[in-house]
Amino acid sequence: MTVELERTDTIWLDEPVDAPPVDDAPVSGAAVDPVDDAPEPPAEDPDVPFRPSSFGPSDRLEMVLAAVSGLAFAWALCLVMDWSHPLTFAIWAIVWFVAGIYVTARARTSKVVAMDRLVTTLIWLSGAFAVAVLGWMIVFVLVEGIGGLVDDLPRGEWIARIGAVALMVAVVAVVRWRVGRREAQGSAGVVTRLLPRLVGSACAVGALVVLLSVINTEFFTSDIAEVGPLDEGGGIYHALIGTLEQITIATVISVPIAILTAIYLHEIKGRLAVPVRFIVDAMSGLPSIVAGLIVFTVWVNTGRGFSGASAGVALAIIMIPIVTRTAEEILRTIDDGLRESALALGAPQWRSVVQVVLPTARAGLITASILGVARAIGETAPVLLTAFGSAVTNYNPFSAPQADLPLFIWGLLREPNEAQIARAWSAAVVLLLLVLVLFITARVIGERGARKRTGR
Amino acid sequence: MSQTTPVPPPPPPVTHAPPPYVAPAVDPTGPVAPPVARPVADPTAPSLWAEPASEAAEPSAPRVGGIRDDQLPGRLDVLHLSQWFNKRKVLERCSLSMEPGEVTALIGPSGCGKSTFLRALNRMHELVPGAELSGQVLLNGVDIYGVDMSPTEVRLRIGMVFQKPNPFPAMSIADNVLAGLGLSGSKTDDPEWLVEQCLRRAGLWTEVKDRLGESGMSLSGGQQQRLCIARSLAVHPDVLLMDEPCSALDPISTRVIEETIRELCHDITIVIVTHNMQQAQRVSDQCAFFLVETLGEPGRIVEHGPTERMYSNPSDPRTLDYVNGRFG
Repeated sequence: MTVELERTDTIWLDEPVDAPPVDDAPVSGAAVDPVDDAPEPPAEDPDVPFRPSSFGPSDRLEMVLAAVSGLAFAWALCLVMDWSHPLTFAIWAIVWFVAGIYVTARARTSKVVAMDRLVTTLIWLSGAFAVAVLGWMIVFVLVEGIGGLVDDLPRGEWIARIGAVALMVAVVAVVRWRVGRREAQGSAGVVTRLLPRLVGSACAVGALVVLLSVINTEFFTSDIAEVGPLDEGGGIYHALIGTLEQITIATVISVPIAILTAIYLHEIKGRLAVPVRFIVDAMSGLPSIVAGLIVFTVWVNTGRGFSGASAGVALAIIMIPIVTRTAEEILRTIDDGLRESALALGAPQWRSVVQVVLPTARAGLITASILGVARAIGETAPVLLTAFGSAVTNYNPFSAPQADLPLFIWGLLREPNEAQIARAWSAAVVLLLLVLVLFITARVIGERGARKRTGR
Repeated sequence: MSQTTPVPPPPPPVTHAPPPYVAPAVDPTGPVAPPVARPVADPTAPSLWAEPASEAAEPSAPRVGGIRDDQLPGRLDVLHLSQWFNKRKVLERCSLSMEPGEVTALIGPSGCGKSTFLRALNRMHELVPGAELSGQVLLNGVDIYGVDMSPTEVRLRIGMVFQKPNPFPAMSIADNVLAGLGLSGSKTDDPEWLVEQCLRRAGLWTEVKDRLGESGMSLSGGQQQRLCIARSLAVHPDVLLMDEPCSALDPISTRVIEETIRELCHDITIVIVTHNMQQAQRVSDQCAFFLVETLGEPGRIVEHGPTERMYSNPSDPRTLDYVNGRFG
């Protein structure tokens, strides 16, 4: 916007220069002396950039008014009708708010603009609703489960530790701010440059140590084999080991198959590509219990018994279609020119795939694999039929039942005891955090790859 | 270089049509010979491609061989090349010779088959599903569509630079130059020397010599295109095909690339497709004008010859109109 304005100004200023010079003007004067009737150059008033917006102050006022009236109306209605459920309140408040938005906009503008505002509001509300539901779920799990993940400390100790962490985080923030400002100014000696950084790093490490010291280590390092139904204590060590081994087996099996299939579908474009793609699509809709059932029938139930490896195979069946489709989409984003360039250099197709296409797509393919892992890590039904679950730590994935996190949660939530249920919620928090970390890793890697592809 | 073109004598002995059609097929404006593409089983077609072949190609073959001995490698002769996409004929019996040490420009309006023609010269045409062709492309007298010819070998000898600069994003600048070696399975004793050599020939060395380890994507568009040229040179091709190499570049980068082309043509055959008539005039020694006369017809070579004559005194009025910018 600003650039546009400046450019218009310049053209306008140049106009007199192009105009025929006044007769008595000296040779050099044409460019320097302004022609008499040329408008004064508006050099004095500085250019103030503004962002054009379709949402002005009056719109904001209308929105606030509609919100207030919505809340007031819902409150009054609930009072009069003697309703007490918060959801009822929220629904009426939103209905009145949306109606208010339309009515106020209609009073001031045309029907088209009011309708536009109404639809925009509805879209925003649905987005907010989705975020609210998901956020509420995460917060709910955290609140239920966080207690089991941290040590049971007296209140004073808690306050002291939280205070210490807050203080150190504050120091880190101040140091970052100061360092950033000083670097912007460009003046700093060695001591003034290093000292704040040292202090900042020390505080960051300190905060981390305090946070880690609060963690209930027993929960992560013990199983529940020796723990009675009503006892405190015990942990998820056996389930973590199981999840780790089963997911590793599933990844080792499924990722190579999936990526080779994606290469077949998009690079080789073989004659069977259409049926293969159809089957892969159909498989991604396969109910996960069916995958478990298949492995149960052909492996577990033929005398080999429950094992972590069979769970890995069942999870691999679930992962293959997901990773294949995502990987194919990634390969699709790669410019055909790169493939042609490779072929034009005298490369056979396999070399072009191995040396050009796959390295270019690497980040995307890693993302695809991580998304597959994130999907498989939370599967319960197929694992129930294949690994069965266990209370003891079983390191060997090839024989005997093995636990994993979803199974642990499923098993303990069905118990009637407080301690068991609390343990299940804590495991749910761990699972949630694992999936969250996987997704964030996938996103970060994917974005870095995209930046690399576009050269920025 | 002869003014006239080194194509075989006018009544072409090579014909794809069964005997009764020979006479009409001679006349280029006459009825189109039935599209007998190579894969189509036609009793007359195999003889054209059979190995000792072709008394048909006989008249031109000795000449080609004679020239090859005392000249640079990389002579390309195209004989009666016709091309199809999904049974739709896009190019009709084009014959053209591209001499070593010269730049041949293919000009003409959009959609007249220049790029299609170019892509047939290093067997990129067949990468498109449903693409077929008939006729011969001889590199130093050897048919690149011969029975025993592998496309990878052909592409190794006949390099190509594309319209859009496309360095391999996952490789550094130096690795991009050397990519062709790894991709074609060959080796070099002194990769550093080869990188410098190729970058110098592509006119990029002084700009990138201190940042060879950086990603090729960090270069500007013109530099990227020169990197692609350097990449093509690293496998020592006899011929370099360029498909509108400057159409995505600014005038300054274009000028640098044109200078590079003039430098390169001393030891390599260059064929360049361009939309830009001034560019063709600046860089090329020989020129071929492609045109689709009526919509839906296949493209043809209307006229070809030395660039100077094509621009000053073409024999066909349509060429004159085109080079003067009256259409296209």
